[in-house]
Amino acid sequence: MNHYVPDFEMDEDYLIPDSSSLKRHKKSTMGDEDIMELLWQNGQVVMQSQNQRSGGNKRSEMMPSTAGREIRSGVMEDDTTPCNLFMQEDEMVSWLHYPSDDNNLDMYLHNNDIMYPGLSSSASVIIPASSSQPPPPPVVNAPSPRPPIPPSKRVDEEPSQTKTANFLHFSRTNKGNLTGSAPSSSNKASQAMTLSTVVESNDRPANEPPQSRASRVTDSTALVSGANIGFRGSMSSFGAAGTSSAGREPETYDLSASSSPGTGGSGASASVEPSSQKPPPATEDRKRKGIDTDDTECYSEDVEFEYHDAKKQKRGSTSAKRTRAAEVHNLSERRRRDRINEKMKALQELIPRCNKSDKASMLDEAIEYLKSLQMQVQMMSMGYNMVPMMFPGVQRYMPTMAPMGMGMGMGMGMDHVGMNRPMVPYPPVLPGSAMPNPTAAAAHLGQRFPVPRFQMAPVPVMGPTGSQAANPSDPMMNAFPMQNASQPRVPFADPYQQYIGLPPTQMLQPQAR
Amino acid sequence: MSSRRSGESSSETLKITDAQIVQLLSKLKQLLPEIRNRRSNKASASKVLQETCNYVRSLHREVDDLSDRLSQLLSTVDAESPEASVIRSLIM
Repeated sequence: MNHYVPDFEMDEDYLIPDSSSLKRHKKSTMGDEDIMELLWQNGQVVMQSQNQRSGGNKRSEMMPSTAGREIRSGVMEDDTTPCNLFMQEDEMVSWLHYPSDDNNLDMYLHNNDIMYPGLSSSASVIIPASSSQPPPPPVVNAPSPRPPIPPSKRVDEEPSQTKTANFLHFSRTNKGNLTGSAPSSSNKASQAMTLSTVVESNDRPANEPPQSRASRVTDSTALVSGANIGFRGSMSSFGAAGTSSAGREPETYDLSASSSPGTGGSGASASVEPSSQKPPPATEDRKRKGIDTDDTECYSEDVEFEYHDAKKQKRGSTSAKRTRAAEVHNLSERRRRDRINEKMKALQELIPRCNKSDKASMLDEAIEYLKSLQMQVQMMSMGYNMVPMMFPGVQRYMPTMAPMGMGMGMGMGMDHVGMNRPMVPYPPVLPGSAMPNPTAAAAHLGQRFPVPRFQMAPVPVMGPTGSQAANPSDPMMNAFPMQNASQPRVPFADPYQQYIGLPPTQMLQPQAR
Repeated sequence: MSSRRSGESSSETLKITDAQIVQLLSKLKQLLPEIRNRRSNKASASKVLQETCNYVRSLHREVDDLSDRLSQLLSTVDAESPEASVIRSLIM
């Protein structure tokens, strides 16, 4: 039990500011009670139910608080002196204001709606009184006191319950823990469970009104299991924990039992929950992979944190720290990769007819598609601007245009891809006719179609406003399809080439290409 | 992605793929207007991909917009005129 302790101290830090309600008072010495039910509110144990806050509380308290707190801080050291426990206990106790535990755990478990998804944060954490102790008794004990307490009572007792919301934060993180903790040894498992439960419950509570929380609290045991269950992923872990902690035994199992309903509930909730949660709780728990549920980044983080805590308890602070660091790193790596993959998928969807599953080829296609799109846009915009110029009426512009030098060619290349205005590279066109200013070419282009200096160099020479041009232009036009994704460039060159030679209209001069 | 997914198991594949990916990403970067303009040559893969998606979407919008305008223009022109054909070809 002591191992859980350390977190409590930290809990204070973590506690969300609103957990003001946390009562720090230490309620009772922790006896060896096995199961302490802690009502978590806002990450703090509002009430510690259990017949004996003493002893067992420590453990339980720690767990919840730790869990609530941010298990991430993971600092939990297993061996905290009982004093710490007590401290934590206070918090937890306040949170849990359930009478300590009792064996009604079962009752709680079943009674609590908390167990089911929606568990309120106030889920009492049933903390096995002593990790070392055989689980059954303590767990059982813990719940007993609870059931009798009407939910409302809890509320009254713990104003902090409302704070559960705060706890939620922790619970979220804890979710991870749950999974992580679950796997830990039976003792730990139970404890972890509690922690996780606590955590979990926190999550839930946020959504629920305080009142509900109170009710939940009563079900601390139930909560625990329920909490776990209710929460994503963690729930599963909890279930797993329950199962895994066979050692814990009855309590754990109680939890598990309750959790089973919870699990059932959680299962449902789990299913409800985003798919990110991994279904097999056992596996999840066991493997610290809890973090694997990367689906939600935060979730995974939480898991990790939770997990770390549990782990830490198991091992020693140093190793736990190291592990934690590594895990954190992995987690962030994973998240980063996920982000990139997600973007790749999005890009793949944007690209039409992209059936490549390979990243490299997909990127290749993306590049080509992007280029073709750019080209298309440029062509269209240019055409849009030029077409009006093709009309005979445009001729009026002609006279106004000063003859442009042949060298009008604009050096606009594809650089201006993004431009909507057609850049009209104007190769020398009508020597005699007024050549619109390159900049104004688009607008003034009357007779000759600007020759955009595409990289592909197609020259859209359309110009013919005259009927004569009609015919020749048609074929050319037809030949020039704007294809979206595939080879946009190719068609350009040909049609234009043909066209260039055309016509005769006054506007159009054969342009040297 | 598959290689990525397999992860550890195909580290070699990953290596190869990574190099290609880096190269492709840099190519992509060149095409993106924003990144290019800002002269910020360092852009994470995630950012490049994001920018690409955004750019593709904006190009799509532009194409749609131009298509609309061209069709409007088409409506103002006789169906048989050369301009019409030009426009039609552009709209495609």
